[in-house]
Amino acid sequence: MGDPITAISLWLDGLLAGWGLAPALIIVIKALLGVGALATAVLLVDIFLVWVERKVVARFQDRLGPNRLGPFGLIQPFADVIKLLIKEDITPVGADRIVYNLAPIMALATVLLLWAVIPLAPTVVGTDVNVGVLYIVGVGALGTLGIIMAGWASNNKYALIGAFRTVAQMVSYEVPMVIALLVPVLLARSMGINSIVNAQDSYWFILVAPIAFLLTLITSIAELGRAPFDLVEAESEIVAGFHIEYTGMKFGLFYAGELLHALTLSGIVASLFLGGWRGPGAESFPLLGIVYFFAKAFFLYWVIMWVKYSLPRIRIDQMLNLNWKFLTPLSLVVLVVTALLDKALVGVQPWVYVLVLLAANLVIAWVTLQILRSRARKERQRVAEPRPIARPPAAPVSSQGA
Amino acid sequence: MTALQIIFLITAVITLGAAAMVVITRNLVHAALWLIMTFFGISVLYVLLNAGFLAVAQVVIYIGAISILMIFAIMLTRRVQQDFGPQTNAAWPWALVIAAALFGGLIWIFSGWGNFFTQAPVMGERADPLRQLGMALVSPEQYVIPFEVASVMLTAALIGAIMVAWERK
Amino acid sequence: MTIAFEPWMYVAVLPEILLVVLTLVVLGLDLALPEERRGGLGWLTAGGLTAIILVGFAVAMPAGEPRLMWGGMLRHDWLGFAFKLTALFAAAATSLLSMDLAQVGKRGEYYLLLLASTLGMMLMGSAADLVMLYLAIETTSIPLYVLAGFLTRDDKSTEAGFKYLLFGAMTSAVMLYGFSLLYGFTGSTNLYELASLAQAGQLSLASVFGSLLLVLVGFAFKISAVPLQFWAPDVYEGAPTPVAGFLSTASKAAGFAVLVRVLMAVFPGIQPYWGAVISALAVATMTLGNFFALSQKNIKRLLAYSSIAHAGYALIGVAAISMPGSTLGATSVVFYLITYVVTNLAAFGAVAAVGRVTGSDEIASYAGLSRRSPWLALVLLVALLSLSGMPPFGGFVVKFAVFAAAVEVNLIWLAVIGVLNSIIGLYYYLTVLKVVYLYRSEEEDKPMPVPGGYALGLLVLCVGILLIGTLFAPWFSFSSGAAAALF
Repeated sequence: MGDPITAISLWLDGLLAGWGLAPALIIVIKALLGVGALATAVLLVDIFLVWVERKVVARFQDRLGPNRLGPFGLIQPFADVIKLLIKEDITPVGADRIVYNLAPIMALATVLLLWAVIPLAPTVVGTDVNVGVLYIVGVGALGTLGIIMAGWASNNKYALIGAFRTVAQMVSYEVPMVIALLVPVLLARSMGINSIVNAQDSYWFILVAPIAFLLTLITSIAELGRAPFDLVEAESEIVAGFHIEYTGMKFGLFYAGELLHALTLSGIVASLFLGGWRGPGAESFPLLGIVYFFAKAFFLYWVIMWVKYSLPRIRIDQMLNLNWKFLTPLSLVVLVVTALLDKALVGVQPWVYVLVLLAANLVIAWVTLQILRSRARKERQRVAEPRPIARPPAAPVSSQGA
Repeated sequence: MTALQIIFLITAVITLGAAAMVVITRNLVHAALWLIMTFFGISVLYVLLNAGFLAVAQVVIYIGAISILMIFAIMLTRRVQQDFGPQTNAAWPWALVIAAALFGGLIWIFSGWGNFFTQAPVMGERADPLRQLGMALVSPEQYVIPFEVASVMLTAALIGAIMVAWERK
Repeated sequence: MTIAFEPWMYVAVLPEILLVVLTLVVLGLDLALPEERRGGLGWLTAGGLTAIILVGFAVAMPAGEPRLMWGGMLRHDWLGFAFKLTALFAAAATSLLSMDLAQVGKRGEYYLLLLASTLGMMLMGSAADLVMLYLAIETTSIPLYVLAGFLTRDDKSTEAGFKYLLFGAMTSAVMLYGFSLLYGFTGSTNLYELASLAQAGQLSLASVFGSLLLVLVGFAFKISAVPLQFWAPDVYEGAPTPVAGFLSTASKAAGFAVLVRVLMAVFPGIQPYWGAVISALAVATMTLGNFFALSQKNIKRLLAYSSIAHAGYALIGVAAISMPGSTLGATSVVFYLITYVVTNLAAFGAVAAVGRVTGSDEIASYAGLSRRSPWLALVLLVALLSLSGMPPFGGFVVKFAVFAAAVEVNLIWLAVIGVLNSIIGLYYYLTVLKVVYLYRSEEEDKPMPVPGGYALGLLVLCVGILLIGTLFAPWFSFSSGAAAALF
């Protein structure tokens, strides 16, 4: 009873075999059904996310948020969807039609692709690719491509500038992200996300790699292009960035893609560092695993929103400095230290292992903070110094006299 | 024909077609997008060969980094994206002859090879090509020297690139 | 084929390891030292390379049977050892010659790229596996692309770098295609395994010969043989002069090392075809190089065409190797290349020393050089006469050896063409010397300062040329040792 998914799968096996289909064909049909079911479910969650987003931001800003349609305004997102659907669909003059229309599909489809490798429960795994972590990075690159296509095809200079910023941001933040992702890979000795979740049976990786967790979370926010990294669509400078020309459901796809991307990356971070579907009783009742997974994912989603609505937007030079001068070196240090300690601690008790790695992470964090503090002090001094003030040139002495 | 062969044929047609479009199309951004399609096709071929790591690496490196930088560079030159000149020059008959000769030469090379219909060996259930690849790269009995040399080469290339790009005051 | 790892393999690659260490030291010092104190980097590089050469002689000398090492990636033998030391020597001389060049000599990146490229050349000499070979070739080429375009403010240098990059990438792609075919046909990347498969008749002639023709494209580019010679004059003209010297010597020698190894390892089965191809290449290369050199007004372009012609002479020796029953072939090629490296470096060094004062590479600007700086004129005399193959200098001996190798395997026509070409060569070398010694110029009273780096470098090179020419025997036995272990 605790595992309806396997039960449905077995029932389908029997049913289709009863119709006299070949075993290979049954696998294909089941795979297609699974993809369809997962994608539908995820998109339904996506509609729900619109409500979550509006409700939570309202609370952060001391408002109530949607509360008219249905209990707690729960029907509001459906009204939003209907509104988007009946809006006029505009393709700007001079736009590259095919690329313009392909871009929103790419933006949402790449997010859906990510769900293929996320284990939702012990028995609910899309596909257990042995290069799962790398797959996530690769699909993320395709998402970038969708944004570039949108920015270029719109034939609008703000859209193009938005696309440029996207490239600068996403390509740079991929570097510390990949390095930070290597830490759980190293701890689990596998790149498969399923294996990484399985490897967290005695402790979650956030205990042994808290810095890597934070790095992954920060770079994920940057990949998402959410505040404080939302200069991709900074409204005060470039209006709406890459999706400035999109209207109606095409804009809706971008919007849905962005929300779902946030939840997806939260889910991935939860799988890599917070044990994914792991929790009391999840092994015997896989449905419980799904609940745990979404609880953790939504917690991280809330953290991302918290960051988004609390911090101001940073400038592009600050964004690049943060990446190349802070996150990248820090991630390299963490990876090297973790690798060395992991090799040195072969065969010790798990609790020793956890304590040593945790202590190492705390030391790294402390040293980093000290360095940052001294840098900040210097920077404050520099800013506080009296600056040369432009003065008007001295009035020419009149030889004629008054 | 097995399912794999059907998938292979479809992929091969798409890959070759996209590759042809890269050179035929007049719009530079479209050429870059077709190129991405080609890379994607090649990555599918890797998957068919059970080389999952190479397939994903292909996507990450060729699509995620190289193609996107290419598009970036193209977008910086907005007004020359379209080429209105003729697509061939006066030497096209020569190019045709050379291309035909090369193709003939390749056919000749392959004519002596008899293993076209050899089946690929089946990988064991527990085979882990990713782990094998990782071990091979650092094993002194396999590829450790090329691995280290590659790191020296990439460092030198990186420094060289910075040197070329650096605007000296 | 698995080759078990043993500790002696560390010692065998000790020169390479030390080279990487030296590269890192240069990189670190470049970061740490203030700009005005970076002049010492050239001395450090040259000194470090010399030390590595000595270490190589002390510990890494091959003894006994040639052995594969590091999983069959490298082969510990005399051929590799000889070319390793040649590359190190050329790099040391080049760094001495570039130390006092404006915009080049005080830049840490310059020495770093030079050293990285040298590492590639050392590995090219001893690579025994297609994977290793390709990586070594790229490690050699990529820093050289940057070095050729090092003067980013100078249009000619930028053009040189870019041309070299484009042609290099193109030919390397063709070569890689050949490698992939070889691997596809055999399932092996090891050269010696490929050789045994080819000899066992498991490969059809078409597949081996065809794929190796593709591979040959890459090698021919490296040694600038016709029809892939056209990049050389433009690149040499634009590149900083010491880099042009390095390109024309060490890079070319490494290309020959690879060519000789692949030829001798993989080709025994199809020698006649190979011999015909190489002979044709040799004739075309030396004739074209010499004829185009006749009309040059720029000394760097002249030396470029002359270096093409010299690749042709060396190819005569390679053609001799591919004939059955050759005993002199391999020896003469190795010997020829070592001498050529020393001689051409001296020529380019003198050109660089003159160019940094006059600011011109036109032959006309050499008028009155013998009065402005008799020593530089003398260096140029020694180098050019050695290049043309005059008796007291090294060039004569090695040319003689190469022609003898051709005669030995009944390629008399090839030797005759070689001799005729040498006579053409003599004409244009003497034309330069005529300008240097007989022409007067208005500026002949101004002395030409020669900084210490140049003085030392040119002195060593000239002594080398004379030593090869007069004390023929030790050098000959050294390189015959190198060649003997090939078979």
